Amino acid sequence: MKDQLTEAFVSTKAIFRDGGLVIDAPAGARNAALSNRFYFYLMMPAIIVLAAITLYPFFWLIYMSLHTVDLGLADDTWNNLKNWTRLGRDRKFQEGWWLLLKYSSLCMFFEVTLGVMIALILNRSRYEKILVTIFLMPMMMAPVIAGLVWYYMYNSTFGWYHWLMQSLGILGDKSILGSSSTAMIGIVMVDIWQWTPLIILIVLAGLKRVPRDQLEANMVDGAGDIRNFFQVTLPNLYPFLLIAILLRFMDNFRFIDAILVLTGGGPANSTKILPTYLFDVSFSFFKLGRGAAIALTLLAVTIVLGMILVRVFERPSSTRSNSGGT
Amino acid sequence: MFRPPVKPHYKTISRRKFLQLGGGVATALGAGSVAVGLNSMIVSRPVYAASSEDAKWRQFEGSKLVFMSENTPPSFAIRDNLKEFYDLTGIEVEILTDDLPIVQQKIGIDLRGGQADFQLNYIQDKPIGSPFADFYEDLTKYAQDDTLPQDPDGFEEGAWFENFLRACGEYYEPGRIVAFPYDCAVACTFYRQDLFEQLSPDFEAEYGYRMEFTNDTTWKQVQDFASFFTMLRKDGRTDIPYGYGQHHGTFAWTTHLDIQRMLFSHGSWTEFDIDDKLGSKTPGPTRWGDEQSILMMEKYKALADVSHPDNLANGTLQLNTAYAAGDIAMQVQYHEFAASVEDPSNSRAADGKTAYAPCPKGEQSWVVGDGGVVNGTNCGIGGIGINSAAEEKLKRAAYLFANWSVSKSTQLKVLKELGGTPTRPSVLTEPDVIEARARPSSMPNALTFDAVYDYGIKDPHFVLGPKIPEANEYYNILLTEVQRCVSGDTEPEEACNELKIQIDDLHEV
Repeated sequence: MKDQLTEAFVSTKAIFRDGGLVIDAPAGARNAALSNRFYFYLMMPAIIVLAAITLYPFFWLIYMSLHTVDLGLADDTWNNLKNWTRLGRDRKFQEGWWLLLKYSSLCMFFEVTLGVMIALILNRSRYEKILVTIFLMPMMMAPVIAGLVWYYMYNSTFGWYHWLMQSLGILGDKSILGSSSTAMIGIVMVDIWQWTPLIILIVLAGLKRVPRDQLEANMVDGAGDIRNFFQVTLPNLYPFLLIAILLRFMDNFRFIDAILVLTGGGPANSTKILPTYLFDVSFSFFKLGRGAAIALTLLAVTIVLGMILVRVFERPSSTRSNSGGT
Repeated sequence: MFRPPVKPHYKTISRRKFLQLGGGVATALGAGSVAVGLNSMIVSRPVYAASSEDAKWRQFEGSKLVFMSENTPPSFAIRDNLKEFYDLTGIEVEILTDDLPIVQQKIGIDLRGGQADFQLNYIQDKPIGSPFADFYEDLTKYAQDDTLPQDPDGFEEGAWFENFLRACGEYYEPGRIVAFPYDCAVACTFYRQDLFEQLSPDFEAEYGYRMEFTNDTTWKQVQDFASFFTMLRKDGRTDIPYGYGQHHGTFAWTTHLDIQRMLFSHGSWTEFDIDDKLGSKTPGPTRWGDEQSILMMEKYKALADVSHPDNLANGTLQLNTAYAAGDIAMQVQYHEFAASVEDPSNSRAADGKTAYAPCPKGEQSWVVGDGGVVNGTNCGIGGIGINSAAEEKLKRAAYLFANWSVSKSTQLKVLKELGGTPTRPSVLTEPDVIEARARPSSMPNALTFDAVYDYGIKDPHFVLGPKIPEANEYYNILLTEVQRCVSGDTEPEEACNELKIQIDDLHEV
């Protein structure tokens, strides 16, 4: 039956006759082709809307990156790739990349580590539901509000957190945001506070899917909790961790809300990660062409890093499936 | 326990019907929100030069305007008194307020879009006026139009405090006025007079002169005062933690204004060789990197070293909070903050503890070459201007609001109600205001008027620029390098040379 169907589809021929498309095919295949076309027409409105809101801005972004599109009354002018060549000597652009990688790595490391640890603890707790609700609270807050809350807590004149850290001897007279050597820690802490719950939530969902039989079989083989975690739980968590890391990774690459409120990229540019600099260039200096070039580099690197991440996480699962087949 | 009724009174609804209804509601909501959104509206009737004043004011009755402004006291007070304008003109005005950086961004996008959603703009001289001046209507044509009502005090330069009209209204092209002075924030020194009087004998024993603020107090003396307070704190001889605080924070312009005062005080140093009040679209090479700028950077860093340790996190508002909380003994601050400092429910520096003086003067021995010294005083003069992309009738209606909002009567009301900052000298001639300039004052901002209006804003102390289209990027470059230097990451000379390279590159010099 399957072979017959395949043959019918393969024998379908589309020919042009009198300027029109005529399908010369067996009845079953012709119906299938018509059906496909029908579905395509149904999808057309959605495709057009998607193209309008994604492809058009994307090509417009490319156009802007090749032109001088400043906030002026003059028309956009071709500038011989000046927006791109300038990036090579733009120190803030280069520092922005370095700071973004540093910021993302720190956030990711602590959020994933803490998220997995807390999820493991919660998974075994009888108060799981209430604790998860409490842990999720920071995530419910708009990033700008989270930034404002922490801005006040960090303030050296009236901030509770500053007072606590100072009382414990961890901080000196300067607030955590007042020094270029500690400001990055300050903004990373806010990110960890707000987004570790997302990792907890996703990992908890993953933990519910870990097959008990595998765990029990491993325990019969003499595995303890730690060995069980690394040999059974963690491999089963990979797809979930991939989703969590990808989400946070994408978020960090476009994250500016709380940073703008907390430090504005300072002091001395120590927290001016690339998206913050991009915001400055586009909406404070109104150099839209330069901003477009920066945005495109950000987009390209995000896509490449995203693909690498997917590859890295796909490897263990394929290994598993191979070993399972033998 | 819960059973569905056998013969329900309600009707079931099909999925198709539900989707139809949902779609209808969403469409109606969308259309409604667009209709009642920021859309302005214009209604007009013909008026002639010979028409009555009332007819001229009411010629756009039934219209609607949108004003995008900074969240300053005048805007709040004017918003509270919009009924008065409505009764006078029949025009409805929506005032949107936000922090200055946000206002700058929103206005920039609106101007760039060319839609004129905000027909009236708050034009803060440099962050908004300098980059966007070309997008605003020349108000002189309306000020000379006899079919529009005109203010009895007029709009010429003499109707405003010295330098104000040029500061916020004139950019790059002499005679083209794009904004009327709406409010102002002028720098002066706030200091704890109680502490200065109490500690002056100890200071004199140490430094050989009295610790007091006069018009001749120099930046070098401020450095001494700050060092003295730091020493007292180390010895546990005072409750006040620090002597002085600088302005930095998240808004780059703040840092620029802070270092500009010190720079201008010494030889009237400015960044470019251009007309400081008119500005230039092609400013040419910067003076950063010359001997005077390097010396000033050294002095600025030295002052930072004996100032509040959280300098780099403290913007203008946070610095004032630190002063009001009793954390610092003196600050150079904008005179609009006097109202909050004098509020005993929020300030430890209230109840006559604070006194006001002009900004510190330059120290002659710090001047490279043969320049003089002045009390470098800068400001933010907020103007009100009209988006030139708006329809002509809308612009004329907007002019009525601009006219009313900067009138003497409105400014007086704002000063009395919320602690405004007048831009017309005629406001200061009112008996209530004259009385309020001395303690006890019913208008705390008036306590600063001697230092600000009678001294600081006058030439040769007044410094404004640089008015350049790239002002915001310039401030950003400056903030980075100054903060790097203050943090100890770079040496003053290195910072100034780096500034020279980046700023000249910005202007393609």
